[in-house]
Amino acid sequence: MLSVRDLTHRYDGRVVLDVAAFTLPPGSVTALVGPNGSGKSTLLRILAAVERIDRGVLELDGRPVRTRADRLAARRAITLVEQQPLLFDLSVRANLRDALRLHGEVSPRADPRIAEALELVGAGALGDRGARALGGGETQRVAIARAVLLEPRVLLLDEPLSAADRAARDALADTLARLRERGTTVCFSSHLLEKAYRWSTRLFTLVEGRIEGVTPENLFRVDIPPGQGSRTVQAGPLALTVVTDREGPSTVAIPPEDILVSRTALASSARNQFPGRVSAIGEDGRGRIRLVVDVGTDLVVRITPSALTELDLHVGTPVVLAVKAMAVRVF
Amino acid sequence: MLADGLRRALTLLVAGDPDVLGIAALSLRVALTATVLACLVGVPLGFLLGTTRFRGGRTALTVLNTMLAFPTVLVGLLVWLLLARNGPLGGLGLLYTWWAIVLAEVLLAAPIAAALTAAAVQSVDPRVRRTALTLGAGPLRVHWVVAREARYALFSTVVVAFGRVLAEVGAAMIVGGNIRHHTRTFTTAVALATSQGDFALAIALGLVLLALALTVNVLLHMLQGRGDALGT
Repeated sequence: MLSVRDLTHRYDGRVVLDVAAFTLPPGSVTALVGPNGSGKSTLLRILAAVERIDRGVLELDGRPVRTRADRLAARRAITLVEQQPLLFDLSVRANLRDALRLHGEVSPRADPRIAEALELVGAGALGDRGARALGGGETQRVAIARAVLLEPRVLLLDEPLSAADRAARDALADTLARLRERGTTVCFSSHLLEKAYRWSTRLFTLVEGRIEGVTPENLFRVDIPPGQGSRTVQAGPLALTVVTDREGPSTVAIPPEDILVSRTALASSARNQFPGRVSAIGEDGRGRIRLVVDVGTDLVVRITPSALTELDLHVGTPVVLAVKAMAVRVF
Repeated sequence: MLADGLRRALTLLVAGDPDVLGIAALSLRVALTATVLACLVGVPLGFLLGTTRFRGGRTALTVLNTMLAFPTVLVGLLVWLLLARNGPLGGLGLLYTWWAIVLAEVLLAAPIAAALTAAAVQSVDPRVRRTALTLGAGPLRVHWVVAREARYALFSTVVVAFGRVLAEVGAAMIVGGNIRHHTRTFTTAVALATSQGDFALAIALGLVLLALALTVNVLLHMLQGRGDALGT
């Protein structure tokens, strides 16, 4: 089990992470979502014991990681694949062999294991290529193979889909399935929500360095005008009324559960009404319906299956979304 | 005069003139010894300065970069004062031996090796170190990985240090004394020949020096190529 407690991390004097507690239970697959610059990469680097913590504790199996020896032991149990992973200036196969050596392993079965790891990510044919000559997706796959080869107890993947081509995505899905069988604990950050939902058993949102109890949909960066109480902000193309005491640059979230869907405009207390059309209908994997409605920008709405039937919604159906100003979360 | 020099150079080389061969052997011995020693001191120092942050590290780098502009005759003078009979190291009796030249050249080339090494490892992508850490590498192995990524630049460091030592004349003249068969290197011999008006000999020696530098550089590059092949 890997966790951080009472974590505060600064960068250039600014607090970039403020996390009371974040735990990865054994065998879980955790998705970490949130806008760019929300601190996902930093949190993953801290969990990987490669970034020093200003304040707080990193714990592996309940024991704090403090000393140099602790950190080395933690790094041998945890592997991080960075968003733009770096392969050494060697051949692909030499990179994997090198990883074993750096990991302190002298494996007599190195070659078959390396071949197997490359095969797993669909990079079996790349073994003799120079690692620096690979494309982005290939690099990412080889980096994942290198991490899997080390058989870490915890595998951390920072935006594993950012440079991924289709082959890399498929390879990653296969790899995650295999790791789940092995009981490897996985945590990955992603901005692709559908994949995050599908592949994870737990999902957290990181906003402005804090783990927030909101789902990651419908997040907007806004600039709140000075004043108090109810104000209107520009959230992408939407003029959104919110109630907050904050001003200046902020993030707002419209919780998908708090959006009312109707076929025609309602006379109601909801300050925000947006006409649009249903652009996608799917299940969220947790027994509810996930609608995507195009109101100038895509808003995600969660409704029950019976509501879907009663409203007779299809892709293209015109609808009106209503949100109370009080329901909009402001960070 | 240039043509004359070339003819003379060829004659000297083809005839295997013992004087020229002796000068060549000594120059090579001095240059190789001094390069090896300078790199043994300078490369680890540069590595430390380039990879580790500590108090005074930046100042040390500035001092090092200033030392690159050190006049060679000044280094010669310093070493002469050290090794002179009534100097602190006078008892060693090294003045006017080839070891004195080696010492002066090490003092000149070690800062070059250190400064270039520091620059080389500083320019290595910071992800290299972090990647080695995430793969579970211990501190020594992390350094090794960084050095391996900087290997081309580190090879250049050796080549530049060697070039500096081979071409240096001021310090070699002062502490070696340009004694025939003992401390006469290519550069001091060229200086002497020029001052005596024997331009043909000076040109001939200069050409041999250039050929020698070319040979050593080619050898180093071949070595670098082999090091590359080993990495794959």
